[in-house]
Amino acid sequence: MAIFVIFRAVFGYLFLVLMVRIVGRRPGKQLTPFEFVLIFYLGGLTLTGMVGDEASLTNAVTQILTVALCHYVLASLRYRFDVVAQVLDGTPLILLEHNEWRTDTMSRMRITDDDVMDMAREHKIKDLKGIDAAVLEAFGEITVVARKDDSK
Amino acid sequence: MPKPFTSPVEDSVPKVDEKIAVGENLEFQRKWWRFERVIWSVFLVILVCDVLGLFGRGWLSKAKLVSDDGELTLNYERMERSDTPSIMTLHFSEQAIHDGRVKIFVGRTILGPLGAQRISPQPVVSAIGEGGITYTFAATEAPAVVQIALKPSFPGPHKFTMRMEDGRPVEGSVFVFP
Repeated sequence: MAIFVIFRAVFGYLFLVLMVRIVGRRPGKQLTPFEFVLIFYLGGLTLTGMVGDEASLTNAVTQILTVALCHYVLASLRYRFDVVAQVLDGTPLILLEHNEWRTDTMSRMRITDDDVMDMAREHKIKDLKGIDAAVLEAFGEITVVARKDDSK
Repeated sequence: MPKPFTSPVEDSVPKVDEKIAVGENLEFQRKWWRFERVIWSVFLVILVCDVLGLFGRGWLSKAKLVSDDGELTLNYERMERSDTPSIMTLHFSEQAIHDGRVKIFVGRTILGPLGAQRISPQPVVSAIGEGGITYTFAATEAPAVVQIALKPSFPGPHKFTMRMEDGRPVEGSVFVFP
C-alpha cells in the first residue's frame, strides 16, 4: 500500500538520524574510514527495508519527497527550538579550562588528551600548557584556544 | 534597492571563564548521556529478543496446533516478518487419509494477508468456496506432510483457519512485523 511506502521512508529517516546521533560523534574534521563504513552500511541496510520489493520510480520519487519533507520539518524545528537543535546536534562541550581537564566529559565522549594535543599541534601549540581552553564542538571537531603568552 | 533586514550582534552565547563564547549546556548533555545509557540497554534487549525469536524466525516464534481429533498437526511461526518467506507445515495422521486422499480447507487469511506463495506437493484438486480453498492431496499412509510457503505482506495481527474434511476448524493467529 502507498501509505506504507511513506511510513517506511519516515521511519527509515528518523531511525537513521537517531542512530547517527547516538553512534556518530567522534573527534575529527573529516570522516575516517571507520565512520565511512558505519554511515554507508547503516544507509544500505535501511534502504533494503525502505524499498522492499517495490523498486518502481514512483516509489523512489515518493520516498525521496517524503525524506525531503521530513528533513525540511526537522531543520525548521531545529531552527525554532533550541532543545531540538541540542537533541539533533548536541551541545559544545568544554574539555579543558583553567588548566584542568573535564575528565567526566572526556571519558564519556571517549576523547583522550592525545586527541586534544593533535589539534593543538595544528595551531602550532607545543604543549598542553599552551592551551587556554579546548572545546569539543557539536559537529565533532575539537577547537583549541591558545594561551596568549604561549601562542607565538 | 531595498535594505537587508539586520539586527545588532548580542552576546547571547555563554562564555568560558568570561573569555570564550562556547554555549555549553552540561545539564542537557548529562540528560543525553543518561538517555544514551538507557538506549544502549534497549538496543541490547531488542537484539536478545530478536535472537530468541520474539520478532519471528526464532525459538519463541515457533508454534504448534493440533486438531481436536488429532488428524492435523500444524507447525508455523506465530511471529512473522513482512515480505520474508516462511514455511507452514501440515502433518496428517493416519486417520486423516480416506480412500488414498487427504482433504483440507484453508481459510482466506493464509491465502491473502499471510501471502501463500505455493503449496507442496501440488494438490490433485483445488476447489474454491466458503471464502477459502479446499485442497485434495493424493496420500498413501502416514506420516503425510504438506508445506505451504508464506510471504506475508500485511503487517499486524491475523487470525487464520484450517479444517479437515468433516472436522472441527483449527484456529491460530500470526502477528506480522513490518
